[in-house]
Amino acid sequence: MSSEESPQITRRTTRLSAANSENAVDSSKSCALKPLSVNDLLYGNSPISLEELISSFPGRRGQIIELMSLLGPVNSPMFPTFVYGGSSTGKTSIVLNIFRHLRRPFVYASCITCYSPRILFESILNQLMLHRKSDSNGYSSIKRCDKPSDFVNLLREALSGVIGTLQGNAEKAGSKKAARWPNGKMVYLIFDSLNLVKEWEKSSTILPFLFNLYDILRMPEVGLIFISNNSLDTYYADTGFVEPFPFHFPDYSEDDLRQILLKHQVNKNLYSSFLDVVLRPFCRITRRVNELSTALLPLFKKYCEPLGDLGAVPNEDMKRKLYGHLQRHIAPSLNETFRVSAGLTSGASRSKDNERKGIVKKLEACTSSNELDFHMSTSAKFLLISAFLASRNPATLDASFFDSTGGSDNRKRKRKSSAKSLEQKETAEQELLMKGPGTFPLERLLAIFQCLTSVAEYSPDVEGQGNRATMGDSGYIGSHVLLQLSSLCNANFITKGGSCPLEGSTRYRSNVSEDMVLKVARSVKFPLSKYLYRR
Amino acid sequence: MGLKNPAEQAVILLRSRLCNPNFIFTLFSDSPDSNYSKLKYIISSSVTESCNNSVLLLGPRGCGKLAVLELVLEDLLREFPDMISVIKLNGLLHSDDNCALKEIARQLCLEHQLAFSKMASSDENSQFLIAMLRECGLAHKTVLFVLDEFDLFAQGKQRLLYSLLDAMQSVTSQAVVIGVSCRLDADQLLEKRVRSRFSHRKLLFLPPSREDLQRLLEHALLLPSGSDLPHEFVANFNSKLLNIFADKKFKDIMDTVFNTDSTFKQVLTFLFSALCHLDLKRGFLSVENFKDALSNIQRQPKLECLKDCSILELYILVCMKRLEVREHETCNFNSIMKEYKSIHDSFQTTDYYARDVCRRAFEHLLRRELISFLDNRGHGHSIEFRPVKLLISWQELYQGLKSYGSCPAILYKLVERETTT
Repeated sequence: MSSEESPQITRRTTRLSAANSENAVDSSKSCALKPLSVNDLLYGNSPISLEELISSFPGRRGQIIELMSLLGPVNSPMFPTFVYGGSSTGKTSIVLNIFRHLRRPFVYASCITCYSPRILFESILNQLMLHRKSDSNGYSSIKRCDKPSDFVNLLREALSGVIGTLQGNAEKAGSKKAARWPNGKMVYLIFDSLNLVKEWEKSSTILPFLFNLYDILRMPEVGLIFISNNSLDTYYADTGFVEPFPFHFPDYSEDDLRQILLKHQVNKNLYSSFLDVVLRPFCRITRRVNELSTALLPLFKKYCEPLGDLGAVPNEDMKRKLYGHLQRHIAPSLNETFRVSAGLTSGASRSKDNERKGIVKKLEACTSSNELDFHMSTSAKFLLISAFLASRNPATLDASFFDSTGGSDNRKRKRKSSAKSLEQKETAEQELLMKGPGTFPLERLLAIFQCLTSVAEYSPDVEGQGNRATMGDSGYIGSHVLLQLSSLCNANFITKGGSCPLEGSTRYRSNVSEDMVLKVARSVKFPLSKYLYRR
Repeated sequence: MGLKNPAEQAVILLRSRLCNPNFIFTLFSDSPDSNYSKLKYIISSSVTESCNNSVLLLGPRGCGKLAVLELVLEDLLREFPDMISVIKLNGLLHSDDNCALKEIARQLCLEHQLAFSKMASSDENSQFLIAMLRECGLAHKTVLFVLDEFDLFAQGKQRLLYSLLDAMQSVTSQAVVIGVSCRLDADQLLEKRVRSRFSHRKLLFLPPSREDLQRLLEHALLLPSGSDLPHEFVANFNSKLLNIFADKKFKDIMDTVFNTDSTFKQVLTFLFSALCHLDLKRGFLSVENFKDALSNIQRQPKLECLKDCSILELYILVCMKRLEVREHETCNFNSIMKEYKSIHDSFQTTDYYARDVCRRAFEHLLRRELISFLDNRGHGHSIEFRPVKLLISWQELYQGLKSYGSCPAILYKLVERETTT
């Protein structure tokens, strides 16, 4: 501890600051990073040839050639281009690799990382002015810029600077170093994920501004490329904007997907026979490469289970056997296509146990095990149940459900259901489907929670894990309950609805499905059905 | 640096022509009743007669308003050197008054080699502006204010417009205010006090006629004989191009382009696309290049989007369409799931997937903007309860299903049936 080591320092130094002061000496001695130059506006260290480019993107030969013809020969001006297509279709990587192949300098800004106009503008200016954020300048940008008018002025300056350097390079061409220099005198600006700009506050001015940027700048040495998920017609503006040249990346077809998935496999024959069986049903759900590859991974492991040698080339007989082994797993796995498993190891061991017992997992069992697969404290579980009941039951019935005997022993006597009441039940069900869970104020939630926990205390069935002490007396709601509430809100189990216009207090809404609450109630042995209002 | 392929050089030359609006519009500046001559007359007369003036250039986007203005300004700067200074403002950038005043001050300082201070307040900037106007007026220099996207300046309190036009009237100044807008009613947006100070001179810019289009084609694409391209290549290229222009198929293509959208911007985009398709090995344009260009600019984005959907997503769209036809006012994910289940129960489809999978497909559709939430404020509700609406029509959905390829027949039946009931 620093305060013990150096007792003559009167001010207490924390451990963190002491550690930092040691490191600060080291960093100044460490070699400073090289200053950036125009050569750093290229992508990748080594250039690639056209054949390499096309072979690394199966199924995209047409798009690559067309995009290269749009960019044109070196030093030819271009109209701003708008590249659009679905997710994970390769737009960004193809554009960047085309620039790597052509060795032309560009500036890249993605609207995912640059989430506000100021960050977007400063990122582009930093790259153009060859400024690197480092410790010496306090990780600040080279210029502060948050208005489009400042951005245009600074951009003009920066672009003229870069273009001047490139023209100087072009005149010195022929020296040995020229091989590593960028080609041509044009600079390209690439704006990625443009569809996210629609959700910004000032999107109604920023979007037309970006599309009109080429006309505002009036510099033929600048090329603009926009990449987006959605087509141009989803970018509506009041008075319109100058439309860039649209370029579409269609989603991959099944054959392309097969080539892409086969690309990095060790045993291509085995995987190809696997895909013969599995690709078509999965393509009916989704054709995105990222989702397919994660969904097919566990299934492939299962496919290879009976094989002793993973490098084997399967013949027809083996293929049939493997298919027979896999078949009953395909349908349940389709229903788990998008599932991100919480604990991969525990799931795997669990399945091994089941295999040993010879249980075939059926569809229902797969999707809804009777246990929660994450841990919650007991008071959080009761809070969740109270929230669900508060959302589900109408407030007027609280008194009858939650009276001092801790539950409604006197249920409504069942009347014979006439046709009219059946109809009413149906419409009520429809309403429930449409409207969703109701809102409740905080006081109601806490009142129900108090009632439920007092019941739980007196009931002998509650899991006694020493939690009774923490729940306290029936009249005391500790602050830990309110903390639990805020963590439940953060986990999206409870959301804050709008505030009631008369009272002004915030109202909450429970977001969990009935299945989950049943699981939770089962885990604390709480009789949920007694408290649910059924119409 | 070896000799470039002459085709490549030609392509670079033509592309720089198409991307340079000044080149294109010099063609239309010769006739006396063109907008070019009228505009030139207005501005030059106010320069020579030392008076104030204001004019509005109106017309749809891509019809050459700014390009013609640039040509006029270039010519006037050559004719009257040192008598004109130009200040350019853009509504997208400078609609905020403080921003605009700062920009005006900056450009004035730049022009007259004065030191510009970024820290000046907007009061100081406006006083500077008035002082400069007075000085320029006394020195018989005209200040031209070009206000692009004029309708954006007319939003809010219009303080900048008022101060400019007021200064023109009260101070001994020589200024011309040129507003450029794509809204044909831009002058109706002005406040009463601003409109009274504005002369109601308007120049209308229209898309070209068919004959003008033909002249434009030849002007833009025929290679000039004076360039440093080999003479034989130029002659070959031009003769082949003239043959194409006379071809009937080409005339049909041009008619299609003219009928859909005949603004200059669209035609230039079409020519640019045709140039991109030029086969560099052959070196000449052909009718196929123009056909490819036509399909490039005539896109059907919603159809393309539908072709990219997976079969489960198509099911969800068809369910929504059926709910819409049955006149349910709003539908949300739960009601769609109910419909999905009922389809499965009645037709025994093979495509019945779990709720989680369907919810993810639903989110994909939201991302593609084929469906959207009805209101943007309902963030408190979970995704299953928020009402959604379809953003495509029945015809688009039907066309999309037809061109899908491996669409299950049940979906056709479902969509067709709903139209007859």
